[in-house]
Amino acid sequence: MDTLLLPPTDILPVSWGWFQFLLLLTFPLHLLAMNAMLGGLAIGVAQHLLGGGVRYRLAHRLAMVTPLLIATTVNLGVAPFLFLQVLYGHFIYTSSILMAVGWIMVIPLLMLAYWWAYVYDFQFELLGRLGLLLAGGCVLIFLGIAATLTHNMLLMGLPQLFQEYFRHQGGTLMIVDDNSYLFRYLHMVLGALSVGGLAVALIGRFHADRDLELADHAERVGLRVFLIVTLINTAIGTLYLLALPRGQMLLFMGRDLGATIAFGVGLLLTLGVLVTAWRLRLWLTIAHAVALVYVMVFMRSWLRSSYLQQVFTLDQLQVVPQYSPLLFFFGIFVFGMLCLTWLWRQTARTLTGS
Amino acid sequence: MHYPVWYLPEIGGGSLIALIAVFHVFVSHFAVGGGLYLVLAERKGLREHSQAILDFTHRHAKFFLLVSMVLGSISGVGIWFIISLVNPAATSYLIHSFVFGWAAEWVFFTVEIAAAFVYFYLFGKMDWSTHLKVGYLYFFAAWMSLFLINGIIGVMLTPGTWAETGDFWQGFFNPSFWPSLFFRTFMAILLAGCYGCLSAAWSRDEVVRVKMTRFSGLWSLVAFIGAVPAAAWYVLVLPAGPRQLVLGKSPTIVLALEYGAVAVLLLLTITLVATIIRPQFNNRLVALVAMACAFVLLGSFEWIREAARRPYVINEVIYSNSIFKKDADKLTASGFLESAIWVTHKRLSPDNRVAAGRELFIHQCYSCHTLGGGNNDLAAQTADMSYSALVAYLGKMHTLRPFMPPFIGTPDEARALASYLIGKVHGKEVQEPVERAGDGLAAGRRLFEENCAACHSQEDVAGAFDDQTKEKAETILLTLNEISSEMASFGGTDFERGLLADFLRLPVASPGAQKVVDGAAVFDMHCASCHGAEDLVENTVSWDRALIYENLSRLQELVPEMPPFIGSQEERGALAKYLDDLKGGK
Repeated sequence: MDTLLLPPTDILPVSWGWFQFLLLLTFPLHLLAMNAMLGGLAIGVAQHLLGGGVRYRLAHRLAMVTPLLIATTVNLGVAPFLFLQVLYGHFIYTSSILMAVGWIMVIPLLMLAYWWAYVYDFQFELLGRLGLLLAGGCVLIFLGIAATLTHNMLLMGLPQLFQEYFRHQGGTLMIVDDNSYLFRYLHMVLGALSVGGLAVALIGRFHADRDLELADHAERVGLRVFLIVTLINTAIGTLYLLALPRGQMLLFMGRDLGATIAFGVGLLLTLGVLVTAWRLRLWLTIAHAVALVYVMVFMRSWLRSSYLQQVFTLDQLQVVPQYSPLLFFFGIFVFGMLCLTWLWRQTARTLTGS
Repeated sequence: MHYPVWYLPEIGGGSLIALIAVFHVFVSHFAVGGGLYLVLAERKGLREHSQAILDFTHRHAKFFLLVSMVLGSISGVGIWFIISLVNPAATSYLIHSFVFGWAAEWVFFTVEIAAAFVYFYLFGKMDWSTHLKVGYLYFFAAWMSLFLINGIIGVMLTPGTWAETGDFWQGFFNPSFWPSLFFRTFMAILLAGCYGCLSAAWSRDEVVRVKMTRFSGLWSLVAFIGAVPAAAWYVLVLPAGPRQLVLGKSPTIVLALEYGAVAVLLLLTITLVATIIRPQFNNRLVALVAMACAFVLLGSFEWIREAARRPYVINEVIYSNSIFKKDADKLTASGFLESAIWVTHKRLSPDNRVAAGRELFIHQCYSCHTLGGGNNDLAAQTADMSYSALVAYLGKMHTLRPFMPPFIGTPDEARALASYLIGKVHGKEVQEPVERAGDGLAAGRRLFEENCAACHSQEDVAGAFDDQTKEKAETILLTLNEISSEMASFGGTDFERGLLADFLRLPVASPGAQKVVDGAAVFDMHCASCHGAEDLVENTVSWDRALIYENLSRLQELVPEMPPFIGSQEERGALAKYLDDLKGGK
């Protein structure tokens, strides 16, 4: 192997375990929000395209929710990205620079999609079917951003490719010969579409008393999308597993006990969501799906550790303890949760008229 | 040196950061001040029982939501992206040092978003008292975001004791924390006023337009009154180096100050005349001009703040080119290339000098300089320099221009960098200077290149020296700092000063002397017997006028068959000019 080009690490204020905990806690929340955003909007576009009374109303409701979900997705992406940088900054900064053109393009594209989503929401009636262009454009941009993020997350785990910098100093590196990339991307995007189905079912329930037909339709469509796409995604996930380098694949097949158990639990939860979705048990399906997303994030973490094991392990990170900022953060976090709870209660009180 | 460099020679990373950062600051400060503006505008509407004002507030809230969410929150992530692409070492250092500060800021960002949505979507649906509380909560969360970010980015300019201790709280409450917080808060209020005027200008209700214009104008006026002492306080707490830069030592800051001053004056005039005294004057054009002024004002402030850190990106810790200050001495002694990770030429050889020089440019210069681009173009800045001049300049760059980092590397590496810039970029001759004993003119020329040529051409300074006696010229060289605070007095020996004075007094650049002596006549007398003018154009094509002048004094060394030039200095100067003119001065 050529000489590996790896920047040095910076010093942590507390043990790496805290950051790993916070990363694994917050990243699934980002994924769930992203799934609801991307999957929900894709289903909304399909409903709008198919047309008809209740489909049109569902598409409109999804259009109204999309800007909120974009904001939530971005917000919930900030925390895990922060903790990822603390743990793996020397990899993620490097890989980002190597593909800088695509990476920075995420920002203007996201801004554009966000803007279009608001126009689609505020001008839904006025735009009519023209709105489909905006919403469809948003979906395409989100798919593009997902491809970019997936690419970067894969590239940061392949430091042997960092040598390619000298041929791509303008930030144009693309992975072209990794078998797992396509399946990894499809697995993520199809997962978003399926969980988006659950979000649609949930969103349809809002004010169900005022539009029971919409609530029933949304639940039926959402669960059906979830069931079908999850079935497909199970096959894609299997292909993804088989496309991994042998060392990483075997990780989940007995080489590492924790990873294998997580994989087993993931399979059971997959079975669980399929059964509950088949039986139209929305809340039970959501509960299983949330647990499944958490398990998958754990597996993903194992996979990353395995990719980097030869060159870096988290226990190599140096610590010069400073615990008071951690306590400060926890204090602010509790305060923030209290504020959000208060906002939620005031909103609920206003909407329900109680 | 620890990270790869995203290399776009004609664009430059600094330009991208500036573009995104100024845009974000312009929106994010509005996102803070605008929150309070909304609440107080709503209160005004309720107090005056004015549905029209409440409707205006609702419309403004929609505008506010779109601007702050779509443009503000995403460009905030954009800054994070771009600084980690352009300056990953500093970004990583700040992230690791202040991770829980950033995390706490994220919490307030979350509350801010939730409160903004509740405020807008439940406007007129929620009871007013609770709605106002939601607005206040929004403003509090937004201001706390400012509070936290202000502490973290303030450390980049005024690290105080944090630079040595690395203590979170010492860094957070750094010397400029409070003045910066006050100044930024007033800027947030100013922008709330400007954006308010903009919304008012779009109002179709004349009464509301006038009323809310004056209301907004008062916001701007209050901000102006508060920002002046805050800015003065800010400057006072700066360490000596950055303060001198802000007060005129840095040309880029002087330029930014000029733009900022014009913007302030124009904005203050608009505020007083078109919003407070005669709010009827406010219309879409006036409001847009005011917005443009506010943008320039914020932009110049951010530019000054960034430029005042130079030569550091994190003051006293990391140089602008991502080299840690603590590593500088070691790298200068042992060599930069050997320790750098992202270079292919670890060791210099005659074969790789230019290629290694390019890598040195990328890692040491490119963070601030483009190559053929608009921002701080190093190709343009070195166009008049010779190889030896640049080598000499690199050795004392930080002394001559304290806002630039020192060149960090061995003398050989400095020569490699100069080889790349002079030989490859400019296509000029790269030759180590060889001085012959007793050749005072060549020595004077070298001294000029080493000490003056970075900023002046020979023609630039001719007027100051051509009529001077040698003693007077030497005196001028000793008092250069009195002519301009950006210049240092000549620091060589008395002997060297004499040589430089001789060189500067040469008539080569003296129009007066050229009028007296006719170069064509000198040519006819001394050269035409053996040479046609075209021949000499060919022979001197790669020489500038000074080199022609110099070579005329050593013709026999160049071509042993030739007799020496016998003539006065004035004649030699006139002949040099004539020959130079024959080839168009190129």
